[in-house]
Amino acid sequence: MTICQLRQVRKTYATPEGPYAAVDGIDLDVHEGEFVAIAGPSGSGKSTLLNLLAGIERAEAGELNVAGAALHTMGEAALTAWRGRHVGVVFQFFQLLPTLTALENVLLPMDFCGHLPRARRTERALALLGQLGLVSQAHRFPAALSGGQQQRVALARALANEPRLLLADEPTGNLDTASAESLLDLLQALVDEQGLSVVMVTHEAAAMRRAMRCLHLRDGRVVDGAALEQAHA
Amino acid sequence: MHDTRAIKVWRELTRHRWRSALVVLALAASLAAAGTVLVTWALVREATVQGYRASLPASATLRLAGVADARMAALLQQVRDTPGVAAARARRVVTAAARGAGPWRNAVLVGVDAAGSPFDSADLGLLRDGPAAWPPAPGTVVIERSSFEFSAAALDEAVQLRAGPMGEPTSAMVAGTVRDVSLAPGWMENLVVAYASRQTLAALGLGGEANEIQIRADAGAPTRDAVRALGGRIGALLQREGVTVLVVDVPEPGQHVHARQMNSLLMTQASFGVLALAVSALLVVNLMAALLAQQGRQIAVMKVLGARPRELWRMHLTLAALLGLAAAALALPVAAWAGRRYAAMKGELLNFPIDGLPLPAWCLLLLAAVAVLLPMLAAAPLVRRSARASVADGLRDIGIVPAHAPLATRRVLAVQRWPRPLALALGNALRRRQRLVLTVLALAAGGAVLVGAGNLRRGVQASVDQLYAAQGWQLTLRLAQPQPAAAALAAVRALPVVRAAEAWRSRRAQRQGVDGLGHGTLGLVGVDLPSALYTPAVLAGRWLQPGDDATLVLSRALALDHAELQPGQELTLSIDGSRRRWRIVGIVDGGPQAVAYAPRAAVDDASRDDAGTLIVALHAGTPAAQLDAAMQVRAALGDAGFPVAGSQLQAESRRVVEDHLQMVVDFLGAMGWVMLAVGGLALASTMGLAVLERQREIGVLRAIGASPRAVMGLVLAEGLMVTAMAWLASLPLAAPISGVLGEAFGRVMFRVPVQLWPEPRAALLWLGVMLAVAAVACAAPAWRAMRVPTARALAYAG
Repeated sequence: MTICQLRQVRKTYATPEGPYAAVDGIDLDVHEGEFVAIAGPSGSGKSTLLNLLAGIERAEAGELNVAGAALHTMGEAALTAWRGRHVGVVFQFFQLLPTLTALENVLLPMDFCGHLPRARRTERALALLGQLGLVSQAHRFPAALSGGQQQRVALARALANEPRLLLADEPTGNLDTASAESLLDLLQALVDEQGLSVVMVTHEAAAMRRAMRCLHLRDGRVVDGAALEQAHA
Repeated sequence: MHDTRAIKVWRELTRHRWRSALVVLALAASLAAAGTVLVTWALVREATVQGYRASLPASATLRLAGVADARMAALLQQVRDTPGVAAARARRVVTAAARGAGPWRNAVLVGVDAAGSPFDSADLGLLRDGPAAWPPAPGTVVIERSSFEFSAAALDEAVQLRAGPMGEPTSAMVAGTVRDVSLAPGWMENLVVAYASRQTLAALGLGGEANEIQIRADAGAPTRDAVRALGGRIGALLQREGVTVLVVDVPEPGQHVHARQMNSLLMTQASFGVLALAVSALLVVNLMAALLAQQGRQIAVMKVLGARPRELWRMHLTLAALLGLAAAALALPVAAWAGRRYAAMKGELLNFPIDGLPLPAWCLLLLAAVAVLLPMLAAAPLVRRSARASVADGLRDIGIVPAHAPLATRRVLAVQRWPRPLALALGNALRRRQRLVLTVLALAAGGAVLVGAGNLRRGVQASVDQLYAAQGWQLTLRLAQPQPAAAALAAVRALPVVRAAEAWRSRRAQRQGVDGLGHGTLGLVGVDLPSALYTPAVLAGRWLQPGDDATLVLSRALALDHAELQPGQELTLSIDGSRRRWRIVGIVDGGPQAVAYAPRAAVDDASRDDAGTLIVALHAGTPAAQLDAAMQVRAALGDAGFPVAGSQLQAESRRVVEDHLQMVVDFLGAMGWVMLAVGGLALASTMGLAVLERQREIGVLRAIGASPRAVMGLVLAEGLMVTAMAWLASLPLAAPISGVLGEAFGRVMFRVPVQLWPEPRAALLWLGVMLAVAAVACAAPAWRAMRVPTARALAYAG
């Protein structure tokens, strides 16, 4: 079953040199429980594509059907509500809110979304942190955590509302090798054990190797949609 | 576990606690200033309702020739039966002189009857805080509280009384004090008001017949004109019964005699309170703008996590409201305390007791509501923009403050002659243009009010100077009784200490209406013509000339009180029952006194040429020499058979006038200082934000060799540049504020020449004050910038 279906999606930015097509007529299908990596050189449109999938950017043309919603037909408020409930996002620089503790950072999307009863939220947040080995850090502020720990908190936060789709923008780009491996293990486990769909932007070969499929982008177009074995090669 | 959104709001407030504290302080300062005026106004209003209106003041007073008791009882019943009259009473009122431990004072003695007597009314002109025994026991008087101190009398001791300047002194015991809230304070009017039984007045030789009827109109006569018509009907009734009606006085219904001035003063002060609040709102805008700009990425992340616009609204407006609540917690007790004290001062001016009046709850609730809503409203446009901003743009925000300096500025900065650090500081100041404008406005507004108050002070000084420059004499002598002018002047002019002298004659005249009754009184000052000693500034028409007869020149204060009187008009005046048509020929600046000037010969009985007052120019210059000369003149007049009732040196009179005027100017100046403090807090906040936002840049500067001192210098230079801009902006801004202040002061006190621009020296002094404020405001941010470790600054991620 397809969780993401993109047809002829196009996104252009205005630049001093003229319009720049960051995503230029992309077609893409991602299936439930699939782990997809998106790779490509800087400026190839990887992050723009991820943002389009998250409903953060609006496409100028094409159709985006993601996690049961036709994003190209939705307004900003509906997109926000949909994203909060169905999509988890992990950023390269973690983007934890500095004034909230690790636990509070995980609770925040639950408070925004409100689909879980208030009494169960803390329990779930602690369970997620426990799953990621962070219970002892639950009451620490982000500044007191290592990069790897921060990214794991960010992952717990992304999973807070039990999303069907996890989008990760260079999640290991700011981590040391051991932390990066640990995070990739976690992502793989989520796909393998919980059937989560993951779309991950990366330029690291080690990360690409974990994915079932790796898309290569250049100048806003998919130049190669290879299977895992091809990526390994 | 609390809601994480509430936790985030709280932590944002406490994370930058100094920045939040600055905003809270600025809000609290302006709220306290505005609140003080509001509390004062509320208490004065409450006192008006509870004090003045609850005293059931007389709607009209008819002054009569004395009427025997039996006849008065019958007349009073007729008056009470007149439609439109709710209550009526009769009493005896005599002009007299009173003396406690000090000098003789002008006095009004009111002869009253026992409660329940036919002459009394329980529903009219109620007195309060008086002794239990009423009317005062035989041989005793009760003094109105506001003139008690002025009378220099003491309780249970004798006070001397006499019917006129040459009347035979008698004495009565002072049995207590009483408050009559319908009167202007005795100390302001230079008048002692005392109450005694009519029997006591008769026993003291001051007559016992009632000569005044007071009425209170019912709800059918709500306007002054309606009461005048009612008074006219009663006057006509009394005249038909053969009673001589001298005057019908009708005050503005429901309004204390000083209410207009007090309201005007409070309104002016309240407008500055509102301005201070507006300035502090700018500060909230600055804070919220910085907070939201700094949190652009955080807000975008929250949107990614599912935060809808209404949640962002709720979070940030809660933050603004918390700032307001904290400010209210600080400001409300201050406003309540200062407002009560200020109201007590105003109460003294109005002759109302404020003590014991509860602070109206609505007043505190309104202040709290303003405190909470003002920052919310100030923040709303920014929150709206932030809530509607693109998530993608927010996520791309890398925390580098964009350069928004306009092209012209960049060109100016590109000129090589600018020292590079100065160019950098100026460039920094211009990077956040909206914040710069708000900060400059906040500082400039404070400065403009301060400069405006300074201009007003100069205007008042110039006006007082002009007033006293027009008065070329140093000594005023009031004769115990009118004396032939020529003889009195000859006695004075013969003295070597005297340079020149002129004789004046002051009278009270009744204005006559078309109904033939007196309608209010005018103070007439008959001056020597041509006068070498008095040359007032002419505001309209002309001054008096030799050969003028029934000619009037109004003082500006009188013209303000009677807008219907204009040069060219004629009016009928009655002096001692003798009626005559007078022509108004001009208006002059006569200071705060509401009088009409006329030729002395026209004021007095044509067959006499008496003087009541002598104005004397002395050779002596020093206060001590003038005092000595004054004693010589008094002695000489006494020896010549012209006893002197009182004398005053112009220097003393000037000091009293200046003290009263300065009190108002000083309050306005205090408002200016409050606003300047708010402006200083705005600058401190802006510079604090600038340092915080540019920590990474500061790290870069440090990394490429800038010393801590150089970094501190950059911050100080930026702050001083903002201050210089505010100084330049405050000067033209001060012009309209000075105009408004001058106009308001003119309405309340007396017309002063409006000074729109500060003197160069004052402007420079003001610049110095602002730079000092700037130095204080920038000290903490500069110190913080200097101490930023390079590595931490480079790693700072907002």
